[in-house]
Amino acid sequence: MIQNLKRRLVRRLASLGPRYMPFADIATPDLPLRRLLRLSLFQVSVGMTLVLLVGTLNRVMIVELDVPATIVGVMIALPLLFAPFRALIGHKSDTHRCELGWRRVPFIWKGMLLQFGGFALMPFALLVLAGKGQSGDEPLWIGHSAAAIAFLMVGAGAHIIQTAGLALATDLTPAKSHPRVVGLMYVVLLLGMIASALIFGAALAEFSAGRLVQVLQTSALVCTALTGIAIWKQEPRRPPRGAVAPTADPSFRESWARFCSGGQAVRRLVIVGLGTMAFGMAEVLLEPFGGQVLQWTVSETTSLTAFLALGGLLGFAYASHAMGQGDEDAFRIAQQGALIGLPAFALVILSAPFGLSGAFLVGNFLIGFGAAIFGHGTLTATMSRAPKGQAGLAVGAWGAVQATAAGLAMALGGIIRDVVNASVGPNEVLGGLSREASGYVTVYGIEIVLLLITIVATIPLLRGLSRRPPAEGGAEGESLAFHPGDGMIDSAAGSR
Amino acid sequence: MAHETQTADIDDPDRIWPTGLTIRESEELHKHLIDGARVFFLISVVAHLLVYLFSPWGG
Repeated sequence: MIQNLKRRLVRRLASLGPRYMPFADIATPDLPLRRLLRLSLFQVSVGMTLVLLVGTLNRVMIVELDVPATIVGVMIALPLLFAPFRALIGHKSDTHRCELGWRRVPFIWKGMLLQFGGFALMPFALLVLAGKGQSGDEPLWIGHSAAAIAFLMVGAGAHIIQTAGLALATDLTPAKSHPRVVGLMYVVLLLGMIASALIFGAALAEFSAGRLVQVLQTSALVCTALTGIAIWKQEPRRPPRGAVAPTADPSFRESWARFCSGGQAVRRLVIVGLGTMAFGMAEVLLEPFGGQVLQWTVSETTSLTAFLALGGLLGFAYASHAMGQGDEDAFRIAQQGALIGLPAFALVILSAPFGLSGAFLVGNFLIGFGAAIFGHGTLTATMSRAPKGQAGLAVGAWGAVQATAAGLAMALGGIIRDVVNASVGPNEVLGGLSREASGYVTVYGIEIVLLLITIVATIPLLRGLSRRPPAEGGAEGESLAFHPGDGMIDSAAGSR
Repeated sequence: MAHETQTADIDDPDRIWPTGLTIRESEELHKHLIDGARVFFLISVVAHLLVYLFSPWGG
């Protein structure tokens, strides 16, 4: 009797614990939408960080805090230094072993701490950087190094969270669901960025040092909360207890060599880089082009961003639908995205000499549409074709190439425009174009060439499709392949 | 099925309830929290230094 009572009490106690622990209860063959939506919240935190770094703080530092534009440019570019390390983070999370049996969560946790810490330092670092308050007499290096550390921490945190988060999404879903998962992740990122931009704009409308501190510290808390909610009970545990001692993990060099040896991985990464550069160079030039060349007002040029975002959302929806049917290869979809970019940039170029505002708007929409399809296709292909046990490395390599190419493209776009404009005299006309237009049109022309190279580079991949065995996706349900006795305790904890 | 496995888990002498973690697992979780606290302590020291430079207190 007492034994029975004791046993029931222990069972009751045991069922209470896991409910309040951050471990996944059950391993399912596919994620329910509600859990997937919750997982995608880490993308909102990444989107919020991107908007703050590239948009809001960029403007605040230059306009409100009077920081020289060169220093602002360097600070904003700093997080890009971490981008190439995404492949290493992915590899580390692939091979991570710990008592708790998690692979991705420890990295997301550390990324979250870095991001929070960076945001906690950032407002004070920016105020000292700008010499506000009584910090004007202090040596310059203090503000510079504090701001650089804050930007690096936030950027590194966001890169780690996104790499490990996308790898976790790859682990948790079978290959046939990857197109929809990628579509959802992209759409959530985009919506997070749009919402954050609007909220930051309203919050900082009346700028003060105190308001800057409030906004950044609230962002830190919100990002941490969103990431925490996103990963709560998501990753199943595979604790090593009782398991046969594993063989030594491959080094990064060995993993990289294995990754590069199969499925034309290097060609795929080159395509990601070229295509991202092709679409990315115009990103920061479209609004100034509308203002300087087409003489649009600020509110009119702002509508361009809306058209670009609308094109992006429709592009993600189209790509998810087309690949979700299972009859379209991800790289064929990516190639379609690049193909759509050709008329898009042609329309933008044509709008310059003839002043065609409508063509410019349509071109903008198509750029958003094509870029979304291209990004969606390449990430889906990366996730679905990741070699077994290398999902993190594959997604990390994609992210490293994509983020580095996007950063380089933005910098190169501005530099090429300025160099071309400077080389054309004030009253000269280059090919029937005004001095202001010639720099922009040169950049758009280069983008068309890059798109053509991207399209040509995808042809061998598509040719190989008919020869490729259909079940190449090694990552399919990889982490879900739990076998009896492999230490998977979470399915034991009962359903929620 | 899950119920049966759960019974086996409760009987596992290595586990400590209500968390259901082993000692080594608990220690690892604890290490993450302690490391996080140390990092936050350092960050708060630097943040206080920057705030002092911006607006010194006690002067």
